[in-house]
Amino acid sequence: MRTFRGGLTIGLAVAVLVAAAAITYERYDTRTLKRTIRRGEVLCGVNRGLPGFSIPDDKGNWTGFDVDFCRAVAAAIFDDPSKAKFVPLDASERFKELQNRKVDILSRNSTWSMSRETNYDLYFPAVAFYDGQGFMLPRARNIDSALDLNGSKVCVQAGTTTALNLADYFRANNMNYTEMKFGKLDEVVKAYESGQCDTLTADASQLYALRLNLPKPTDHTILADIISKEPLAPVVRLRDDDWMMIVKWTLYAMINAEELGITSQNIDEALKSKKPEVMRLVGTEGSYGEDLGLTKDWAVRIIKHVGNYGEVYDRNVGSESKLKIPRGMNQLWNAGGIQYAPPIR
Amino acid sequence: MTKLRHLVWMLIAAVVLVLSTSQSFAQKRPDADEPGLVADESYELDPEWQKQVVYFRTNEPPGTIIVSTAERHLYLVQGNGRALRYGIGVGREGFQWQGLLNITRKAEWPDWVPPPEMIARQPYLPRFMAGGPGNPLGARAMYLGTTVYRIHGTNRPDTIGTAVSSGCFRLVNNDVADLYDRVPVGTKVIVRQKPQL
Repeated sequence: MRTFRGGLTIGLAVAVLVAAAAITYERYDTRTLKRTIRRGEVLCGVNRGLPGFSIPDDKGNWTGFDVDFCRAVAAAIFDDPSKAKFVPLDASERFKELQNRKVDILSRNSTWSMSRETNYDLYFPAVAFYDGQGFMLPRARNIDSALDLNGSKVCVQAGTTTALNLADYFRANNMNYTEMKFGKLDEVVKAYESGQCDTLTADASQLYALRLNLPKPTDHTILADIISKEPLAPVVRLRDDDWMMIVKWTLYAMINAEELGITSQNIDEALKSKKPEVMRLVGTEGSYGEDLGLTKDWAVRIIKHVGNYGEVYDRNVGSESKLKIPRGMNQLWNAGGIQYAPPIR
Repeated sequence: MTKLRHLVWMLIAAVVLVLSTSQSFAQKRPDADEPGLVADESYELDPEWQKQVVYFRTNEPPGTIIVSTAERHLYLVQGNGRALRYGIGVGREGFQWQGLLNITRKAEWPDWVPPPEMIARQPYLPRFMAGGPGNPLGARAMYLGTTVYRIHGTNRPDTIGTAVSSGCFRLVNNDVADLYDRVPVGTKVIVRQKPQL
């Protein structure tokens, strides 16, 4: 009797464990890499149209910083950047659609925050673009610090964290301001254009895009001060480690390549280099690519087809683009910024 | 009479010859220094090369100059994660260097005495040129250590953002005058190169 009851308890416990394991298995996807390879393409969730980050032309060709990052992942896996397929997603649906396995990766100007990881069971592998709230104002005002904005009338979009950050910043620095709130971003811009406010505040990447559409863009300046943290990062599903590692190290390979001076132009020369750090990155030493589940030349594929971090930045949002966003925080850690990749070794 | 006519023709031929050789020099080196050319001060720089305050994180104290030759930027560190950034022209391939130097001398509208190395490479350059608007050193010069290198102005604002110099760093005249007023003799200048493969 006693042993029967004992057996029953053990049996029940096993059943509960098996059920729990099954539920966990269902809940967490661990096969993105395998599915992606079988499918032969990476499904990338992107913004429907954000100049510099992801935008399709009239022929359906996508360009942008986020788009190029996804192409880099495809290049690392397939040696072919065209094996990235872009799925435009709205802000409200993006995390759900990633959860529902409609896309393999979200490369869609999404701010990494704690609740987004915990509430949606997602993972942000690494920061691709450090954004943050800034100020735009007429160049003629000759102000080059946000601390000189005391007493300003500030145009801001109502009901956003932008308005809250603005309040915090002025309070923390003992400055006064008059808030000019508008429901839509276009209204904020119109108010600024018509001179209703002294300055306009929004995320810096947004300010550069808005400035392009002003009648005389060069008459307006964007301050170097950044008053909030908006780290934009790619997103994958939680507990899908093989896939997460590929996404993370794709970005780090691009950043390390820039630090080592390896570009899409000199990649062939880099393959002949005798410098240990260069050799590890291009795969002429070690088996770092294989350890990732890819090939030795995984990083070479990324750099050859898409470029290093700086090349992708300059082409899409930096000096060679229309936006011309200074590197700022996105400059390498040893050149004035905070972009820092762990070493490949 | 025929002799005189002969002489006239020879003179004309000589003038044509001199003109055509100087022309071919100019065509061969469209980006080289152009002594005598007066700078077009209304030339508008690309936003990338315009003087601006930027985010810049460094442990170097405010007042330090950091030159990034790969970026074609000169940073004057201001502290608090900021720097004043100027667009520059840098040394062409083979004329790039890096290191730490101090500003040892400052001069307004400096005279130009191209160093012997430069004369050897570019024999058509003058041996001496008095300071002024047509001088390739432009409005100001800041001499670096005991080297032949300087931070100076230019009479060619269109060369900002390019690698054409013999190792000097050139700024447009307005910018070099602005920088000149902000930095004393003794200022630390750090020159950074792109990494070698």
